[in-house]
Amino acid sequence: MNPRQDAAAATSGRSQLIRTVRNALPWYLFIAPASLMLLTLMAYPLFDTLRLSLFKWGGLGPQTFIGMRNFAKLFGDEVFWRALGNSFIFAIVVPFFTVSIGLFLGVAISRRMKGWQVYRIAFFIPVMMSGVVVATLWANMFEYNHGLFNTVLRGIGLDGLAQNWLGDRNVALMSVMLVPIWQSVGFPMIVLLAAIEGIPQEMHDAATMDGVNEWQRIWGLIVPLIKPVLASITMLSIIGAMKVFDLVLVMTKGGPAFSTQVLGYYLFETAFRSGNFGYGSAIAVVMFVVVFAVAYGYVRGVRIESVEY
Amino acid sequence: MAVDRVTSRPTEGSIQGGKTAGWWAGSSLRPIIYGLLVVGALIQVYPIFFLLMNTLKTDTQILNTPFSLPTNFSLAPYVDVWTGDRTGMFFGRYFFNSVIVLAATLVLMLAISCLCGYAMARGQFPGNATLHQVLLLSLAVPAHALAIPLYFFVGSLGLRNSLFGLTLVYAAIGAPFTIILMRAYFMHLPVELEEAARIDGCGRLGVFLRIVVPISRGPIAGMAIININWIWSELFFSLILMNKADVRTLPLAIALYKPAPMTVETVLGLQYAAMALATIPVLILFFLFQRQIASGMTMGAFK
Repeated sequence: MNPRQDAAAATSGRSQLIRTVRNALPWYLFIAPASLMLLTLMAYPLFDTLRLSLFKWGGLGPQTFIGMRNFAKLFGDEVFWRALGNSFIFAIVVPFFTVSIGLFLGVAISRRMKGWQVYRIAFFIPVMMSGVVVATLWANMFEYNHGLFNTVLRGIGLDGLAQNWLGDRNVALMSVMLVPIWQSVGFPMIVLLAAIEGIPQEMHDAATMDGVNEWQRIWGLIVPLIKPVLASITMLSIIGAMKVFDLVLVMTKGGPAFSTQVLGYYLFETAFRSGNFGYGSAIAVVMFVVVFAVAYGYVRGVRIESVEY
Repeated sequence: MAVDRVTSRPTEGSIQGGKTAGWWAGSSLRPIIYGLLVVGALIQVYPIFFLLMNTLKTDTQILNTPFSLPTNFSLAPYVDVWTGDRTGMFFGRYFFNSVIVLAATLVLMLAISCLCGYAMARGQFPGNATLHQVLLLSLAVPAHALAIPLYFFVGSLGLRNSLFGLTLVYAAIGAPFTIILMRAYFMHLPVELEEAARIDGCGRLGVFLRIVVPISRGPIAGMAIININWIWSELFFSLILMNKADVRTLPLAIALYKPAPMTVETVLGLQYAAMALATIPVLILFFLFQRQIASGMTMGAFK
């Protein structure tokens, strides 16, 4: 960094060490506040979660070491398997729809379909809203007697299609998943749009000269060129869907009959409602492993610094 | 930031050859695509319109004629939820709790992140590369997995039910991402100005505060904008750490607001007014900073 000092430092190994330390010291002061916060509020809790998962603990009183028994119990816990399964269903269904609809919108808007500015704003606004507000709003619209959906269905004579959207165990998970799809299609849309806009005009012109039709342009030109962005937005959506919590808390509390139970909410219930902090930590460990496995591949695969438009 | 250029391009309305020349022209798909776009846009916007309209309607109107427009324009539901006199839920206070937590989190998080990111970009010290790796890995950790120890740790500091405690947790959760992006930004910042100031006898911190921060106002504001959304909406840690009624944040208060239907004329209207209270600032923000938000989200996607 500083050639003058470097040259001087080369004179002897000992003074080099002193200089390294002296040069480094101010930088350590710069990183100290952030490091302190991350060590105490992220690193320590993470390791403590791992430790607590080996204990039985009600929050007060002694912690009893029980080895892997929490995990053995998880293995036979039907609700846990429901939660894990539903989290995976979430992580597949929601990203599938948000990313494919987002891709469609991104392409349509980039091709300047009439009114594209309006579509861009309309699809993006829900992304900005609080999850809690969106969940409450949709819970009201799903309500059986007076909710918007059933009112409309009954109004047009389709009484048979009126559902107990959140109260029927065969329908509830689907209803809940509809909400994040509605809320977040704008997110992949805006990201993919930026990627599509980044495709050089010359490539479009070349394709036009080759006489491609629009279908070929999408699948032969646009999609291959934005594939890295498509992959990363898909991964991000998957990670987001694995962590779903607000929606389930507000709309169903995991019910009916655990049909909408997910990992995040089961962890919350077990630890903070039932006071089983050891068992809750074991669920947290599973959640950590699952999310980390997906996200780790993603973090390794994408280098933020290398993204320069 | 650099990404601005990309998202701003559409607004320049470049009508160039390949872009607009009658997309799907002559194809039978064209009307279908338009239909999907228009219907889709309505589906996206109508629920928000529905929310705002319902704040002005009585419960009977909300339940029996959901599509009707409000008959009289009265801000009474907003006043009621704001003061909490009739509801026992003091949304004015929750609103300010949320504003305080948001502002404090942004200040704390940006301060520690800029310092750290700057040191990582400019400094040569043992552990720099490792720190970067650790920060990248920490992006992959779901915050839920930290919740149980955090609950007890924050409690042992006496910071449960404290807006400051919640601020610390939020700042820690948001910091890794902010540090990584600020580091990337500082690495691209030309170093000459800082070196000149160093020769003039300015210390490292002096250079940072007097030169680097002022010329980086734009990117720092950009980082603030892209973090506002999740902090304003965060529910999980607020739910765990804020057990007393008077320290609730807005999302928590809305999640816990259970109106007993039909006991008062406008119980549902009040619930909608509370939801609007959380939504209207975000909508205003969106229309003010549309471009920055879009580019921030785009950048965030490379997280």
